[in-house]
Amino acid sequence: MSSVISVHSLTKQFGDQTAVSDLSFEVVPGVVTGFLGPNGSGKSTTMQMIMGLDTPTSGTALVNGKPYRELSWPLREVGALLDAKAFHPARTAYNHLRYLAYTNDVPLARVDELLGTVGLTDVANKRAGKFSLGMGQRLGIAGALLGDPGVLLFDEPVNGLDPEGIRWVRNLLRGLAAEGRTVFVSSHLISEMALTADRLVVIGRGALIADTTVRDFTALNGGDAVRVVTPDVESFVAAVRRAGGEVELAPDDSVAVRGMTSAAVGELIASERLIVHELTPVRASLEDAFMELTRDAVEYRSGGSTEAALVGSGGEGEL
Amino acid sequence: MISATPAARNRRYGLRQACRAERAKLFSIRSTWWTLFVTVVGTLVVTTLSTSSAAHHGRGWYQGFDPTNQSMSGLAIGALAIGVLGALVFTSEYGSGTIRSSMAATPRRLRFLLAKLIVVGAVALAVGEVLTFSCFALGHAVLGSSPVPSWSLTDPGVLRAVVGSGLTIGLLGLMGAAIGAAVRRTAGAIGIYVALLFLLPLLLTKMPGNLARFTPLIIIANSIAAVVRQQGFVSPAVGFVLFACYTVAIVLLGAVVVTRRDP
Repeated sequence: MSSVISVHSLTKQFGDQTAVSDLSFEVVPGVVTGFLGPNGSGKSTTMQMIMGLDTPTSGTALVNGKPYRELSWPLREVGALLDAKAFHPARTAYNHLRYLAYTNDVPLARVDELLGTVGLTDVANKRAGKFSLGMGQRLGIAGALLGDPGVLLFDEPVNGLDPEGIRWVRNLLRGLAAEGRTVFVSSHLISEMALTADRLVVIGRGALIADTTVRDFTALNGGDAVRVVTPDVESFVAAVRRAGGEVELAPDDSVAVRGMTSAAVGELIASERLIVHELTPVRASLEDAFMELTRDAVEYRSGGSTEAALVGSGGEGEL
Repeated sequence: MISATPAARNRRYGLRQACRAERAKLFSIRSTWWTLFVTVVGTLVVTTLSTSSAAHHGRGWYQGFDPTNQSMSGLAIGALAIGVLGALVFTSEYGSGTIRSSMAATPRRLRFLLAKLIVVGAVALAVGEVLTFSCFALGHAVLGSSPVPSWSLTDPGVLRAVVGSGLTIGLLGLMGAAIGAAVRRTAGAIGIYVALLFLLPLLLTKMPGNLARFTPLIIIANSIAAVVRQQGFVSPAVGFVLFACYTVAIVLLGAVVVTRRDP
């Protein structure tokens, strides 16, 4: 299928600040691709450039092989939720969707259908300014789906939603991808991406950090470990080192062993006749992997400029 | 993917779709109706007051009196309100974030701008013509029993003054919209518009050279809406040309900002 987003060497500067720096990636159909990065890392700016709303300083962003502004029927090819409040507060939900339908010759029946899909039928004739953030998100999602597009972009779609709404969005995104659509969804919530996305594009400070699958991302960064609690830490650490494993002492006096399977650790304990109170295999979380990667990015940048390092550590704190 | 109607297939979205959407947008917020209400009622009230004050004088009082011009005096209010309507067409979108929905749906910015101008221009022109003819009728009703000079629509210059004044309301709607497109903020756009209409002539009258006669509102009041030619003001023809030039200049400025500056 050719419905893809293709970003090539995309760069955006605001004055002397670089929001997005030489970013390249592809988004493929049929899976949910997560766009992960701390707040202020350039996710929204990148999405705005894909949508033709921000003009890149250099580089290109193509949708279905074309710049967004050259699409024949934009809403029928690409749907986007970029801003929870991208509607006029005095206009009703129905009228908001109606004018959007007119722009791309979408039949009005589709408006009623979508109001039902997102659960806003009862408030269709209420002014959107009276909506909660969650209802606003639902209206935005209805706008994105209006033209039944093959490519969908969602910028932080679960912001302001209650747990039920979050689950609804998650299922919606996965359902859209399962229909063969290209789904590109940004988030600063790592846990959310772990549940929703199949592929990940990770950025930090406007630059690409990783373009991979969720599975590979966690496996490669951080990796799995075995957590051991023992009264004789010293002997245990020495034994592990002899066996070629790596150890890391946790603040709670447990020991994390890397480079060995839990079976190997258990056998080592038996052969060394050590007392062990607890032995737990620990799967590295996406969060750990993400923290590790963005920390690297920050350190890398701090070599070049003190200012970047300061801003970088601030950005990391937001996670 | 949605199946387009056969006629729509292989085409792309164009001005027709954009205009239809703009019309739906304009009439689906309450502020539009309020602004139009103020435009119409304000104009008619002022015209009523102004013509009433000129009624029931002796025959000698009406020497050189221009009843058409007197009837159009309410347009000062209409001119103000229609510019606000125009400005809101853009500033309400930039202020609310709707602009991103709209530009995602109509990404060709010149087409987007043009659709807005066509719709608000057409509405302002229609309102303007209805208003000037209403003012004319109102003036006749109020001044009917007074010994005013003849001023039927068939008299020289009368129809031109009535139709021409309505046209300037249409152009003022465009000016307001283009200022809104350039400035993006409601308060700023209305401020600039009011300054252009009311403050500029006040400032210029304090200065040598009688430059105030070249400002938009003075052109309407003393050139275009005048049947009896007044000394010290430009002719109706020159007034029209100047007015059109101002509109084109401000619209071009708005177009440059909309196409060059991201939302």
